[in-house]
Amino acid sequence: MTEKDHSSADDRALVRAAQQGDMRAFEELVARHRDKIYARAYSMMRNEEEAIDLSQEAWVKGWQRLKQFQGESSFSTWLTRIVINLCLDQLRKHKRQRTESIEAMNEETGGVERQMPVVTVNPTAGLERAELRRRIDQALGQLSYEHRTVLILHEFEEMEYKTIAKTMSCSIGTVMSRLFYARRKLAALLADLKRGTGDERAASGGE
Amino acid sequence: MMDYDRQLKLQAYLDGELSEAEAREMGNWLARDREAVALHTELRNTRQALTGFEVGIELPESREFFWSKIEREIERQAPPEPARHSWLAGWRRLLVPAGAIAALALAALVVTKSGSEGTPLEASLADPGAFTYRDDSARTTLVWLSYPAENELADSEPSSKVP
Repeated sequence: MTEKDHSSADDRALVRAAQQGDMRAFEELVARHRDKIYARAYSMMRNEEEAIDLSQEAWVKGWQRLKQFQGESSFSTWLTRIVINLCLDQLRKHKRQRTESIEAMNEETGGVERQMPVVTVNPTAGLERAELRRRIDQALGQLSYEHRTVLILHEFEEMEYKTIAKTMSCSIGTVMSRLFYARRKLAALLADLKRGTGDERAASGGE
Repeated sequence: MMDYDRQLKLQAYLDGELSEAEAREMGNWLARDREAVALHTELRNTRQALTGFEVGIELPESREFFWSKIEREIERQAPPEPARHSWLAGWRRLLVPAGAIAALALAALVVTKSGSEGTPLEASLADPGAFTYRDDSARTTLVWLSYPAENELADSEPSSKVP
């Protein structure tokens, strides 16, 4: 396969070529999907340097396990699962190294979210995309890794509850309560950010 | 106030995780409970806010630099290739002593024909890899060692490196 062939080939053809040892085909796959893989790592880790390292590690593992890829899902989905697992391993290591806060313990018991008042206006209505991203980024950073991960796997990876439970080695009930807490907490944080910037007027666009 | 199980069920309804019958029941409940509607709306708004969040996130490294790191790491972690010329090394190990014997035999023949006295050729029983030529008249002793070279030995040994 020539360089021109690589850039015009679809992912499946590139994967087949890479499975036979064609590194230029693999390079093209990296070029196509590197942002997506990095974005997922960044969403989970909240740290640019770690996200770069883990996405790089995912690509290396992807190459080493390429023969195991049978094409049941798209190549990018397959590689995204690799980076998610690497991030989860890394986050578990972080968790072991830090002391859990009282709030985090409350979150685990599922008590806090029941007392949160419902956010009646849409706190993100009328925001520019860049501002919306900045606020969500800020709010996501305030969630514990378990809550953030459940949210990411559900909203970005579109995993069902049972798949998330398997990925995170927990029960479906835990997934449901973590997801519920994460959403409610995120809504409250976004509402706080809106109040903090004094742009309540934009909230009138809410449902 | 709505009980917790009911709240989680409402979320499952939003996520399409309920059976058809449960979803129908939840739809009916939503139609008559304002508190449930408010919570459902909040959950839906949050979900919508997250849509497209990752789209603009880009790897802050150039394609070439990022790939060069991956390529280097792949090469570093690659298992060592099996010796490509192991058959050649095997033949060499056979041919070197055979060649040595032939060379000494030839030398002995030349010496014998020229009428020289002495013990032209000896193969040591203690060490089959060594051959000795001794010329008493010239007071000379030549010892031919035909051990494989060091790098050949290395070629023939399995690598103990684990990738």
